[in-house]
Amino acid sequence: MKLAGWHGLVLLVLWVSPCAAETGSALKSEEIKAEPFRDAKVVGTLVVGDKVNIMKKDGGWLQVKSARGKGWVRMLSIRRGEARKAGADVGGLLGLASGRAGSGRMVATTGIRGLSEEELKAAKFDGAELKRAEAYAVSGAEARRFAAQGKLVVRPFDYLPAE
Amino acid sequence: MRIWLLCLVLFAGNAAALDLGDALKKLQESGLPTELVGTSQDEEIAIGRQIAGNLLGTAPLVKDARLQRYVNQVGRWVALQSERPDLPWHFGVIASDDVNAFAAPGGYIFVTRGLYHLLGSEADLAGVLAHEIGHVVRQHHLKILQQSRLVDLGGKLLARQTGENEQIKNLIGSGAEMVARSLDKNAEYEADRIGVVLATRAGYDAYGLPGVLQEIGHFAKDDGSVALLFKTHPHPDERLDKLGVVMADRFDGQKGATLAGRFYRPKWLAGVPTRNK
Repeated sequence: MKLAGWHGLVLLVLWVSPCAAETGSALKSEEIKAEPFRDAKVVGTLVVGDKVNIMKKDGGWLQVKSARGKGWVRMLSIRRGEARKAGADVGGLLGLASGRAGSGRMVATTGIRGLSEEELKAAKFDGAELKRAEAYAVSGAEARRFAAQGKLVVRPFDYLPAE
Repeated sequence: MRIWLLCLVLFAGNAAALDLGDALKKLQESGLPTELVGTSQDEEIAIGRQIAGNLLGTAPLVKDARLQRYVNQVGRWVALQSERPDLPWHFGVIASDDVNAFAAPGGYIFVTRGLYHLLGSEADLAGVLAHEIGHVVRQHHLKILQQSRLVDLGGKLLARQTGENEQIKNLIGSGAEMVARSLDKNAEYEADRIGVVLATRAGYDAYGLPGVLQEIGHFAKDDGSVALLFKTHPHPDERLDKLGVVMADRFDGQKGATLAGRFYRPKWLAGVPTRNK
């Protein structure tokens, strides 16, 4: 019962704190482009830490609005959301609920709803479930049909270097 | 070597658990070479099967046949683009609200319901599965077992069983902590690099996996649902940083598909709120 209560609380906390519009910040200096590709016209330059409003995504690009201009920047040059702040909020609310508010310490919530290391260590082999899992296997030929239905086209692409 | 180890394994078969340290000591004292011994593909699959069965004993499959079929279709298609297209690949979604994904040797790959819930397109799913496929292709977990020098099971004799494999159980333990073991950080970065490439080869948008990592990066570090993931992997911000450097403009000409329209969103997930959607 206690666990179920915690579970509900976690969901409630998550429910009341969605971002109205997604924000982010620049991880490095980055040109803002008029279009989502490398050679597009530069309309401004973001500086590390600049706040942006994220409007949409297109492949590896995000369309952003910022004090430095509106346009497209590389997705991996932006940290999406405000993780640090949200984290503090969640910890704070849980701390309040557990009577530890104001301690300024993050509350460890490990195990509230999860697949903990302890549970994994105690795992018992489930042969019937394994057979069910194996029964969903898809053959190479089926996978190719599935890809064709989605108009997926194979493209040669080399593995990336380590750095 | 193989025969000697087989005897050791069979001898220990009745014991509840084989003491790896003790066995290793015996092996070293015996004067036999202790360098890595190759593991056959059948052995690798048998090991993965045991680990997968243990994992499912903790978190069973989500009871949604269409979902299970769908992840196998996407996963198999991505796996076909790897160096091991002919492994008997298996994919599944398990009933846990944790955010995590697991790979076991031989091609057993599972994502949690909690992680599936964060996905917004088929390309996102492909990216996550491709990362796990990368672990299997490079045998990251198998290598950990091989380092214990005891996974040489004496050939196919042991790999043909269909139920629980007692010998393997004795070697790897009865639990599924193997899937939760921390790999070397570089193994995770390598799986990320393989992930974006396999997704691209399969025709998907390369930025599915990075997008999911950004979502996971939103979670507070002390959120229980990501505790195990954060413990066993570098933080998503670090992984994104590495990916950003190496992806750079290399994917600029590759306009892949996201297939957000075909992405299977189970109805039972619709009522579950998450802060990331």
